[in-house]
Amino acid sequence: MTRARSVALLLGVLTVLLILPLFISTFWVRIFTGTLMWIGLAQSWNIIAGYTGYINFGHGAFFGIGAYVTGILIRYQEWPLLAAIWAGGLAAGVVAAVIGYPTLRLRGAYFAIATWAFAEMVRQAALVSPVTGGAYGMRLPALLNETFFYVLMLAITTGTLLASHYFLERAAFGYWVKAIRENESAAQSLGINTVATKIVAFAASTCIAGIYGGVYAYWLTYVHPDNVLHPMITDQMVVMALVGGLGTFGGPMVGATLLYWVNRLIWLNWGDSVLYLIVLGILICLVVVFMPDGILGLFRAKRLGARGIKGNLRRLGEKVKV
Amino acid sequence: MLVVDLFLQSILNGVLIGGIYIAIAVGFSICFGVMHIIDFAVGEWLMLGGFIGFILAGMQVEPLLLIPLVFPIFFVVGYMLQPVIQRVLTGRKANVLMGLVFTFGMSIFLQGLALYIWGHDRRTLTSALSGLNIQGLVTIPTLRLVAFIIAGTVTLAFMLFLARTRLGLSIRATAEDRDTAAVLGVDIARVSRLVYAAYAGLTGMAGILIGTVFTIYAEMGLRYTTFAFFTVVLAGMGYLPGILVAGLFLGILQSLVAVYVGGRYIYLVLFLVLYVVLLVSPQGIMGKGLKAE
Repeated sequence: MTRARSVALLLGVLTVLLILPLFISTFWVRIFTGTLMWIGLAQSWNIIAGYTGYINFGHGAFFGIGAYVTGILIRYQEWPLLAAIWAGGLAAGVVAAVIGYPTLRLRGAYFAIATWAFAEMVRQAALVSPVTGGAYGMRLPALLNETFFYVLMLAITTGTLLASHYFLERAAFGYWVKAIRENESAAQSLGINTVATKIVAFAASTCIAGIYGGVYAYWLTYVHPDNVLHPMITDQMVVMALVGGLGTFGGPMVGATLLYWVNRLIWLNWGDSVLYLIVLGILICLVVVFMPDGILGLFRAKRLGARGIKGNLRRLGEKVKV
Repeated sequence: MLVVDLFLQSILNGVLIGGIYIAIAVGFSICFGVMHIIDFAVGEWLMLGGFIGFILAGMQVEPLLLIPLVFPIFFVVGYMLQPVIQRVLTGRKANVLMGLVFTFGMSIFLQGLALYIWGHDRRTLTSALSGLNIQGLVTIPTLRLVAFIIAGTVTLAFMLFLARTRLGLSIRATAEDRDTAAVLGVDIARVSRLVYAAYAGLTGMAGILIGTVFTIYAEMGLRYTTFAFFTVVLAGMGYLPGILVAGLFLGILQSLVAVYVGGRYIYLVLFLVLYVVLLVSPQGIMGKGLKAE
């Protein structure tokens, strides 16, 4: 696709999404708002796990940190929402940068367990700390304007996707993180500053999660460890990115939309989340065993096969005799 | 109660509970050593063990006597499941993380299934020993003592099996160096399968102990996965003798925090210790664990 056509398509989709709330009921606006949020969250997890190769099992903690910081600023300091969510995202990113330096030295499963332990630690801290309201949670002033949240979520998700597309698929940064994912020692020997790159990727991905946390807190009007720090939040991001295609740009979009709608469908029909847990668990196992490249991987393999090695070489500028 | 008595009592409670944690972590650790997989579903195996014990004990059977019966059930389940996990570990897009994610999915699935069948209720396996105490300088709940002895015996038997038998030798060799063991004629696939089966069996069995001493409920997995991770990480992943120390340490730490700091701080302290140990010494407090790949 040429650049002009991509821009036209993007503007078209955005316009449709912007005028959408005029035609649908509040219920559906909420569904779309949620879909947008999970697309962004899955993509934020994808930055560190899919592109950089560090499986962060504590991503939900940064969502929670964003939610709590935003909540506290709005409730006790009476900050306006739009200022508070950036502060929430910034707080999450700063925490990630600080813990990132020692934590990102761990590799593989050790990193996964360490981030998991950190996330549980944050949840326990929120449960006992007086600032967070502990197990009672924190109530925020309600803003009952669904369209406002929809537009806000649309703006943040568009920003997330555009920024991550530029940095991961176009700029040199994308090559650095992918090199780290494939072989960290080799990447270092090529002169990539792996420590700084990993920390930036970690901080950026958690900052996005923190911003969503803040919006979510205000949307829900109630901040509680079970809402914003539940292990399920990380679980969902993992599954969404994985089902769509880990380390691909479109994967989280596909995965998040599919999973969120399945979630809402089950919730609508049976009103409980137990069945969703079962579906989620089975899905993860099936995807890992049968299609580790996710849904997008299925198409990608076909396309690569059709173009073949010759096509790829030609694309790289090699002359091939057919 | 006197200050010294209270302290001794907390230490004793910690030791008795620590014995059970050791039993949980032994299978988990050897499983990591041989298969290089971290099973996120360890808590769910415990939970299922507890619930199966609960179903079986419904026929007025002493739950502690069910232990020899539960082991083979989970052994078979583990034996059937292992090839699937092996496929994930050695498949086309093979890496440790895919295995991690697979067991993670398994844990979510098993938890959902248990919630669907048994709901949110808490259940206890009532043993004939429940409520009895041995009075002395400190109070020893008979049931906990017996559970401790059972856990200790099982752990000891398993370690003896590893140390003395030919199969045990192959398992240790595989854990130490997979490739060399394979070159020297160890059937790695068979060893891995048996180890995973033994791990599932041991963990299911430990579920009965948990069920008699504490309570079982569908969402208990997270709690015990935490304990297993804690024990194994502190011990050094794959390093068995470390587990004895780490398990007792976990039990005592938990007990002391509960008595002197407050029950609601237990997890905060545990996760803090786990996180810091991972950062400072990922190979465990004795530095003898396996390196990450």
